[in-house]
Amino acid sequence: MDAKCNLITLKNITKFFPGTIANDHIDMELANGEVLALFGENGAGKTTLMSILYGLYQPDEGEIFIKREQVKIRSPHDAMEYGIGMIHQHFTLVPVHTVVENIILGTEKASLKYLNIEEKVKKIEKIGNKYGLEVDPFAIIRQLPVGMQQRVEIIKALYRDARILIMDEPTSVLTSQETEKLFNFIRDFKTKGHSVIFISHKLNEVMEIADRITVLRDGKVVGNVFRQEASESQLTHLMIGRDLIIPKINDRVHPKPEMLKIENLTIMGDRKSKVIDDLSFTVREGEIFGIAGVSGNGQEELAQALCGLRKAKSGQITLSNKDITNKDVLSIIHQGVGYIPADRHKEGLVLDMSIEENLFLKNHSNPSFLHYGFLNQNKIQKNARNLMRDFEIKAASSTSRAMTLSGGNQQKVVVAREINIGTKLLVAVQPTRGLDLGAVDYVHKTLLKEKKEGKAILLISTEFSEIMTLSDRIGVMYRGKLLKIVQRKDAKVDEIGLLMAGITEGKKNKKN
Amino acid sequence: MNKIDSRIEQSSISQDNNTWFNFMPVFSVLLGLLMSGLMMLLLGYNPLIVYTNMLSYAFRDIYNIADIFAKATPLILTGLAFGFAFRASLFNIGAQGQFYIGAVMAVACALKLGSLPSYLTLIICFIMSLIGGSLWAAFIGYVKARFNANEFLVSMMLTYVAIAIMNFLLVGLLKESKGEYPQTDVIPKNGWLPSLIPHTRLHWGFVLALLIALLAYIILWRTSLGYKIRMVGFNRDAARYAGINVENIFVIVFFISGAFAGIAGFTEVNGMQHMLIEGFNPIIGAEGIGIAILGNAHPLGIVLSALLFGALKVGGNLVLQTSRIPASIIGITEGLVILSVILSYYIRDKLIILRSKKKLAVQERHRL
Repeated sequence: MDAKCNLITLKNITKFFPGTIANDHIDMELANGEVLALFGENGAGKTTLMSILYGLYQPDEGEIFIKREQVKIRSPHDAMEYGIGMIHQHFTLVPVHTVVENIILGTEKASLKYLNIEEKVKKIEKIGNKYGLEVDPFAIIRQLPVGMQQRVEIIKALYRDARILIMDEPTSVLTSQETEKLFNFIRDFKTKGHSVIFISHKLNEVMEIADRITVLRDGKVVGNVFRQEASESQLTHLMIGRDLIIPKINDRVHPKPEMLKIENLTIMGDRKSKVIDDLSFTVREGEIFGIAGVSGNGQEELAQALCGLRKAKSGQITLSNKDITNKDVLSIIHQGVGYIPADRHKEGLVLDMSIEENLFLKNHSNPSFLHYGFLNQNKIQKNARNLMRDFEIKAASSTSRAMTLSGGNQQKVVVAREINIGTKLLVAVQPTRGLDLGAVDYVHKTLLKEKKEGKAILLISTEFSEIMTLSDRIGVMYRGKLLKIVQRKDAKVDEIGLLMAGITEGKKNKKN
Repeated sequence: MNKIDSRIEQSSISQDNNTWFNFMPVFSVLLGLLMSGLMMLLLGYNPLIVYTNMLSYAFRDIYNIADIFAKATPLILTGLAFGFAFRASLFNIGAQGQFYIGAVMAVACALKLGSLPSYLTLIICFIMSLIGGSLWAAFIGYVKARFNANEFLVSMMLTYVAIAIMNFLLVGLLKESKGEYPQTDVIPKNGWLPSLIPHTRLHWGFVLALLIALLAYIILWRTSLGYKIRMVGFNRDAARYAGINVENIFVIVFFISGAFAGIAGFTEVNGMQHMLIEGFNPIIGAEGIGIAILGNAHPLGIVLSALLFGALKVGGNLVLQTSRIPASIIGITEGLVILSVILSYYIRDKLIILRSKKKLAVQERHRL
């Protein structure tokens, strides 16, 4: 084992980002012929660490050793020199070019010499035969299915003689058959003495493919176990954190009336498959209903359907006994639904507009702010100043552009506005993503306060601790279904962690 | 204490910088003139003499001064046409075509409505040119909204269609009674826009253009519609989340934008030419784009830039007539001015970013 354990060694790798530490003194090792899984929640620092190894980022502290020699990796080009290739979560292919053009891109020096495509094609076919990665070299990337595009990415790395492949969430875009094919390739690649670093937050995949699992949480390594010695519950525990403190709250004595009722809702995704599958649940007044789950299990689509941006295929959404299924965005806003989107820059704010205008964003058709189609500037300003005071938004003035604010204050603008218009229901998707601790705390307190005042709140988050801290009831979402709904006092961390990976009690028993 | 002082000092410096930033377009206009001056030197002409001639010609007498405003009139309108759509992040580069459609409508109405009282004729010509231009452009917005067609290409291609329609009418329905050239008869006097200053070519169309610029400002910054338009321009996703029907906005913006260009057809036909000639004002749409960019797509900036272009045209034409300088030098000057202004916007943004980064670094140091 000892002789094997030194292909790559990372020592004390630390990387700061404004406001946070993405990697906090991380040690990691990779052996020849090993599949290492980097396992952890979203934002645990997995991708950052691998971007450092691939030369995309420079570490602020720490050393990288390859075959016991200390090296500096300044760019992906350097990384390739050391035989490291990376398959990104979002492909880096030119969609209108052919497979062969994409693969050789950047490997040829610019010259007037004739480009011998045939020769390159032969090399690509040789690689394809060796690893079972057949692909038509003259196909246009755009016309290939996603799984095939990923295969091109892999060949691209192998064409550059990669002996170590870093794969960032490689299965997130694949179907289950494509995933099976990918795993076969990884096994094959391994038997040829090469190594793979497999970044994932999917427990079942990690258990299937990895030899060794390194668990990251909040930028730190919290566990390093061999596959044979690992158990699912142990890994979940490590990922979520065993020291999770759940504050006591008084359970309500009298159940309040239902505010949001979802019945047999089915929604189709962009790829024409069911992303929400016959879903039913309710959120009561004065209740926070938390939806836990790994991202990409239909949470986003559910939220979009609730605020009118996506059509439901069947089923019904009722808000305080009024049918709001497939109503347009504006009438749902006017019904009193506030929506805190996951991506505040893309969906929640207009960064080039002033804070005033951003706080007014959803009132553009509200008659009380208008006078024969003209904006009532005084009222808009007064409304903005009040919200800025109530929500402690720190800014030079109410006319400063939203882009000049810090992330926490930007989110306060969104939260203030949505709470203001969401008089009945508040849908909060990842409301604390990318915020520093103080701002996280502020958002949490605000949500709890709104709950106390009788609003129904639907909290959708991939951060398990957030769900556990805030929710009265928790539903675990997996592949468009709620596998289980529990009262928070009855919630067990291990069980929910397993449910997030799609492992129900029945299945687990069968396995054992 | 020292810290506070230095901070105050810094903020006053940055305020100075702000006013300085506001003058940057002016500096860059001068820079553009300087660059084209160098070009003249290369061609063997003394730029100082050319520019003093230009100035003295342009402002020689009331007729020439008035002509600057007359020339600026349609440029304000085509500039607004591009600038208004640009505020919604849409590219209407087909103002030329909308202008021609407006001109055709205006000339047709003026020719066929000979016996009506003057004010009625003018109002009808105005409304019909507006409707012609706006419907022509609304089609661009519609195909953009409905089929996600590229508005840039559609608006450009529609210009060729508009030219073809105009040329067709000029040799057919609207052809002059003499039947010699592809042009219309002179429209009856009751269809002429009255002149603003007697014995000059300046007509009331200029005042109309100013009113429309004011209207554009009011729509964009004082109404709910304008707020929605700007939101769509800055961030379409956020606009969708806020319940704005983005596709509707596309159509409305093109409708209004086309109306501006169509009205330019009205002021040119009823105010300036008093007839329609094949291929007249062939680059007025393109100049509108330059003017809108020069004016930062703001109505006031567009009016000022259009006046600058008007002055360059008037002074330039007279210089050309009285010396042997090639005519293209005016176009080169216009181009270099626009280029240096665009560069100045770029540099200004870079400087602002740099400055805010510095500020952040200072704050960081204070915190540590």
